[in-house]
Amino acid sequence: MLRTDINELLAQAGPGTPTGDLFRRYWQPVLLAEELPENDCPPVRVKVLSERLIAFRDSEGRYGLVDEFCAHRGVSLWFGRNEEGGLRCPYHGWKYDVTGQAVAVPSEPASSNFCANVKLKSYPMVKRGDVLFAYLGDPAAQPPLPEWEAYTVPDGQVFTSKRLQECNWLQALEGGIDSSHVTFLHGGNLESDPLFKGSKGNEYNKGDLKPFFEVVDSEGGLLIGARRNAEEGKYYWRVTPWVLPNFTMVPPRGDHPVHGHFWVPIDDENCWAYSFDYHPTRQLTEAEVAAMRAGKGVHSANDDSYRPLANKDNDYLMDRESQKRGENYSGIEGIALQDSSLQESMGPLVDRTKERLVATDAGIIKARQKLYKAVKALQDGVEPTGNRAKDQKVRSVAIVLPADQSFVEGIGEAMVAEPSKPHTSV
Amino acid sequence: MSDHDHDHASGPRSVPAGPSSCAEAATAKEAAYRIDYPLAAARNTRVVALDDEAERIVRSAALLEWGQARFFSIADPGEVLAEVDASDVPLDEVLADTNTVVMVATSGENATAVAAIGDLARERGIMTAGLVVTPGALTSDALFHLRPHARILLVPAEEDDLIELLRATRA
Repeated sequence: MLRTDINELLAQAGPGTPTGDLFRRYWQPVLLAEELPENDCPPVRVKVLSERLIAFRDSEGRYGLVDEFCAHRGVSLWFGRNEEGGLRCPYHGWKYDVTGQAVAVPSEPASSNFCANVKLKSYPMVKRGDVLFAYLGDPAAQPPLPEWEAYTVPDGQVFTSKRLQECNWLQALEGGIDSSHVTFLHGGNLESDPLFKGSKGNEYNKGDLKPFFEVVDSEGGLLIGARRNAEEGKYYWRVTPWVLPNFTMVPPRGDHPVHGHFWVPIDDENCWAYSFDYHPTRQLTEAEVAAMRAGKGVHSANDDSYRPLANKDNDYLMDRESQKRGENYSGIEGIALQDSSLQESMGPLVDRTKERLVATDAGIIKARQKLYKAVKALQDGVEPTGNRAKDQKVRSVAIVLPADQSFVEGIGEAMVAEPSKPHTSV
Repeated sequence: MSDHDHDHASGPRSVPAGPSSCAEAATAKEAAYRIDYPLAAARNTRVVALDDEAERIVRSAALLEWGQARFFSIADPGEVLAEVDASDVPLDEVLADTNTVVMVATSGENATAVAAIGDLARERGIMTAGLVVTPGALTSDALFHLRPHARILLVPAEEDDLIELLRATRA
């Protein structure tokens, strides 16, 4: 369980909040690149960390992420005209460039320097792979650009989707850290999902339904190792990295692309799940991408606003017959919705004072503790980890090791991302 | 309209039904209607220090107020544990009526005791957790001795991990 005050502290990520300050030390996914597909395309509303912003791509291809509202009289710039190097409010024609600097105020004399004194709040936004990342923090503390392997592999080797999850970010993240639910909630998908099936590792999963867990502290976060019996004298390890504050990777299966997530707070009751699949050494196949777009693997089938088609308004298309037949454990189709349906059911912000945790929740317990310490340390001027290249060049690992070997020693450099190095998988 | 008022055609089928619908049930307003009653504390968690330095950590945790947790160190490896500020207790009795044992180690001492505790816990279906408090060291004798006997291990654990774990599980 967690005290109410700590629960709220970790959950709330708006401006001026302690966890909001922590998030504002990191580049965060804020859009898929496809949402700003071309120069002078329509602007897009972005709400992230409880801030309302507008994103646009100007005539030169530069990305802007600025205050949603015109400095004049507060009109939403979603109505703006994206033209000739800036976004123009349609009300009185005030125009802003990608830095939020006003460049035209038509009501003022031509020679006036009024514009110079008008600037919207703006944040840097960059394209990495198929995602637009933004940094909402103090410019003086801006970390290096993101170095996640998924976003540094060549074109064609990554696919990212996003889906709306209608609950607080933390209860969504905890699903990524907690390996113990996989056996139950997702067990039915291991051999049916085209992005999971056919690996030797699946046999170990099915053969040992009671994994042991080791939670290892790392500089950037945690490594959570789930250990199952393999051949005599050996263990099958699945190692999940969590990097502060909101990144996890799922251990690979066979030669399938490897996947993971960012859970990005929209506000305190909603988040985006950015889910990626990438392969470090080859292009994704057409069949793989088609499956991802269709909502297989860790992705979901969504509407045009990235809300899953199966959602709380239709009871997630619950199928009790399928549940009874054992095709899936919860009656909900697809791994992504199996997670989000349950996490949304906890409420917009789950009351953790009512939890009855058990020892196998130690990974979650440790993660909360580490987050809390990072938040408090930042209040004392200590910069967090997780925003450095060495923290982000991390991979998940699946591996068989001798029973008497530490998994950290056994995986060694396998958890370090390097260009063109095959991922370690079973 | 109820959850049962739907036909039994094949394929996914769900009819959101008023107060039973997910859309309504997941709101903050509905959260206020959760039944509010005191949850029972964890049943008799046992914390065992496996070496002298671990005993210091365990004693420090024992000073706080807990529901039903009890704290021990090793007396006779495999047979008897010494309860903090109390008398020796046979292992068999220590593990009666408990569902969780947390073992704390900073070194590889008392491997025999670890095995005895782990074996009895397995026999009785008792969950075992291990805290390997070896700052900066990801591998150690403590880890290897605990690994076969702890379903969950924190490596390297910090001293306050014990208190966090006990608090989180309402020990």
